[in-house]
Amino acid sequence: MQVPEAYGGLGLSNTMSTRLGEIVSLDGSIAVTLAAHQALGLKGIVLFGTEAQKAKYLPRLASGEHVAAFCLTEPARNDAASIRSRATLSEDKTHYVLNGSKVWITNGGLAEIFTMFAKTEVVDSDGSVKDRITAFIVERDFGGVTNGKLGDKLGLRGSNICEVHFENTRVPVVNVLGEVGGGFKVAMDVLNSGRFSLGSVVAGMLRKLIELTAEYACERKQFNRKLSEFGLIQEKFSLMAQKAYAMESMSYLTAGMLDHPECPDCSIETAMVKVFSSEGAWQCVSEALQILGGLGYMRDHPHERMLRDARALLFLEGTNEILRMFIALTGLQHAGCVLTPRIKNLKEGRLAIALETITQRMWDTLGRTVDLGLMDDPGVVHPSLGDSVAKLEENVYNFGRTVETLLLRFGKTIVEEQLLMKRVANVLINLYSMTAVLSRASRSIRIGLQDHDHEVLLASTFCAEAYFQNLFSLAQLDKYDPGNLDEQVKKVSRRILEKRTYVCAHPLDRTS
Amino acid sequence: MSRVRAVLLVRSLARGHAALLGAPFSQVPHLAPRSLHCNSAHRTSEKSVVPHPPEPGKKPVKVPVPYEDLFQLAPGGTRDKASFMKALQSFGQHNVRKRGHVDFIYFALQKMPEYGVERDLAAYNLLLDVFPKEVFRPRNFIHTLFFHYLLQQDCGVAVLHQMESNGVMPNKETEFLLLQIFGRQSYPMLKYMRMHLWFTRFLNINPFPVPRDLPQDAVELATLGLQHMEPDLSARVTVYQRPLPDDKTDPGDPTKPHIVGIQSPDQQEALARHNPARPLFVEGPFSLWLRNKCVYYHILRADLLPPEEQEVEEIPEEWNLYYPMKLDLDYARSGWDDYEFDIDEVEEGPVLAMCVAGAHDQETLAKWIQGLQETNPALARIPVVFRLAASTGELLTASGPEDLRQSQREEDDDHLQRQQQGQS
Repeated sequence: MQVPEAYGGLGLSNTMSTRLGEIVSLDGSIAVTLAAHQALGLKGIVLFGTEAQKAKYLPRLASGEHVAAFCLTEPARNDAASIRSRATLSEDKTHYVLNGSKVWITNGGLAEIFTMFAKTEVVDSDGSVKDRITAFIVERDFGGVTNGKLGDKLGLRGSNICEVHFENTRVPVVNVLGEVGGGFKVAMDVLNSGRFSLGSVVAGMLRKLIELTAEYACERKQFNRKLSEFGLIQEKFSLMAQKAYAMESMSYLTAGMLDHPECPDCSIETAMVKVFSSEGAWQCVSEALQILGGLGYMRDHPHERMLRDARALLFLEGTNEILRMFIALTGLQHAGCVLTPRIKNLKEGRLAIALETITQRMWDTLGRTVDLGLMDDPGVVHPSLGDSVAKLEENVYNFGRTVETLLLRFGKTIVEEQLLMKRVANVLINLYSMTAVLSRASRSIRIGLQDHDHEVLLASTFCAEAYFQNLFSLAQLDKYDPGNLDEQVKKVSRRILEKRTYVCAHPLDRTS
Repeated sequence: MSRVRAVLLVRSLARGHAALLGAPFSQVPHLAPRSLHCNSAHRTSEKSVVPHPPEPGKKPVKVPVPYEDLFQLAPGGTRDKASFMKALQSFGQHNVRKRGHVDFIYFALQKMPEYGVERDLAAYNLLLDVFPKEVFRPRNFIHTLFFHYLLQQDCGVAVLHQMESNGVMPNKETEFLLLQIFGRQSYPMLKYMRMHLWFTRFLNINPFPVPRDLPQDAVELATLGLQHMEPDLSARVTVYQRPLPDDKTDPGDPTKPHIVGIQSPDQQEALARHNPARPLFVEGPFSLWLRNKCVYYHILRADLLPPEEQEVEEIPEEWNLYYPMKLDLDYARSGWDDYEFDIDEVEEGPVLAMCVAGAHDQETLAKWIQGLQETNPALARIPVVFRLAASTGELLTASGPEDLRQSQREEDDDHLQRQQQGQS
């Protein structure tokens, strides 16, 4: 879809392809196959390919004649430094000979064109020979490409995920994507840009799900009352609606930012969209199945298939844990650079600065009101969302303070404190979703879209919930907070992992 | 006159050691004050001093058997639990009044290890059953106060003490027996209560427990010992050589000692990374005690690299595709969160494998190294020096122990040269 029109594609912008993604998402396997084809397989060529490469491959790929796949994961380990596949330059310097095997490749069985990553020897600028990753475009016709058998998966059973083996595949030198040795950057960029389509895919699926489930809830009668009149069922529906609303807002906001010519790097935002959507999907589909009860468990209804497909989303394009680390670390890197002078000042330990900081913190806790200017006249946000905006502003301010403390406490070594980073990432995701939701709600009021009061309601509920979650996470980021159970968690897990079993005597054990 | 003398004799015997005369005389002090006054008691006291001939018509008196003989082996019998129980029961058969039960119990306690029942609770209960019941129980506060039947109480305490030394937990049956024999206000009962309280608490106190019944097989014992020592649970035990079973040994073949080794994947990787220019040392034997069995093990270790040669772990630049492994900031952790302590650590070189072998000589250990080479091909290129301590046995030679050590060192050097020549 995003292939430029010159090569036969639709040339859609990010926003338009997001819109298309909503429709495609009704079936998980189709969505995944298409995503692997265009968001991962093609993207490398579109972003980094030379004119010749684009002209050669893109027309056939865009029309669907050939399918593309992205070959990065290896069976041994998941880090880029331990890729075992090798590409050696042949004697006449026209071909590379590829040897290696890749695992968990979507479209592995169907694809004709692979974006393959292998190690090559590169002479560095200082003369040392190192192994660097290079990206290649490999066609199946080059020979030596074999598939393993189809993976027997829990969900996404319509998609084709299998192993791919390359044995002495001859790849012409012109098929190198990007520079020789620049494969790492290619991989990172492709992965980062392929992520954000997930938000709209999930939102579309959730919309359909809400329709189906609401249909059922309003028809079925239990204890002489319809299911829809029970409080717990209503709570589930409101959760689904809020999540869907937030996902849509976030994904279109990110798509808009990506389309904006001045905003190149939205990798954090796409990661946030992916984490929020995948977790929201899992939760909501689970709740929908719960509403249906036993009927939802049966294979006749689509709910159980959607549940299984949604489970794969949690680890599909980067596991959620890794993405949280990414979000937090990239943010902290940026904040660290900006805050370096301030932290250096604090570390010197001069009395004036210390007193000033202490009085500021006391004023914060005793009741400062934060006004970051969102509600000024004329403000960005509509006044009917005033409460939510105040909450957002307060959260942002507190978050800034907490980040400063964290950087002061840990500095570079915060990379190792994963439990703290998880909380930072959660706060960031909540803040981003709150901004997206508020901006969309105020736009719909200003323009006068239908049901804008419902949107305002959804927005304010979502913001209130996110606000309290943020306060909790921020409180736990303090050093001596009683809710911060990190040390105990680590101790428990250390004992269990030492013995590799559940370390406790059975409740029926006796000593006498 | 003889009556008075008899009574005085009886009293002195009762007050003193009642060992040989046993239970029947304990009843005498109750009757003694009356014997001076009534006639019927005269006859009973006379009866108790002088053994009377058997009355006609009754079955013959059994000849008392010395209790050493009770523990003699029947021809063709083995010393095991059944024969021990039989010996205990036969004491009661020969001796209805249980004369000499205290000495018998002490003797039986001595004999228990020979019969292999020192860890068996049923044997101890049967042993306590030998005591006559209800006799030694204190009846009033004077009895409780003044060590009623101290000899028997000491004997009971000795039985419980042997149970404690051998790690046997007494049970309800023991408690009931002690209650019947000594009553609640007695020293054996007190000891039992203490054992019951503390042993239940100390039962699981060992964080590295060794099973109670150790395996008899040498290979299994070696496996247990090696797994007991090794902290890494991914380590695998390999048996390089099993001892031949006795039936199949030809008289010409020497017996092959068992060789059991252990190595974890981390150790394998460290061995693969080891610099071939530096030698590895086989050291040992060191002793490892598992309850009452000693297992000797050897280790394969390397020396620590001097600080200038130690590799610094580099974080490769393009390591993680998903998030930066290193932040590019100028400042590190502040003192508030610094949990590292200033410890003086004496670092040792890495231990790369361990083994337990039946013999402690170089040939057996060389076989171990050969076996290790299958999983660690890098070992073929690294010189191995055998530093074996000559301390496993008392080697009596004409020359003193210093010569022995020198000859060992010479042997080591020869072997090292041979190995280096063989491998280079």
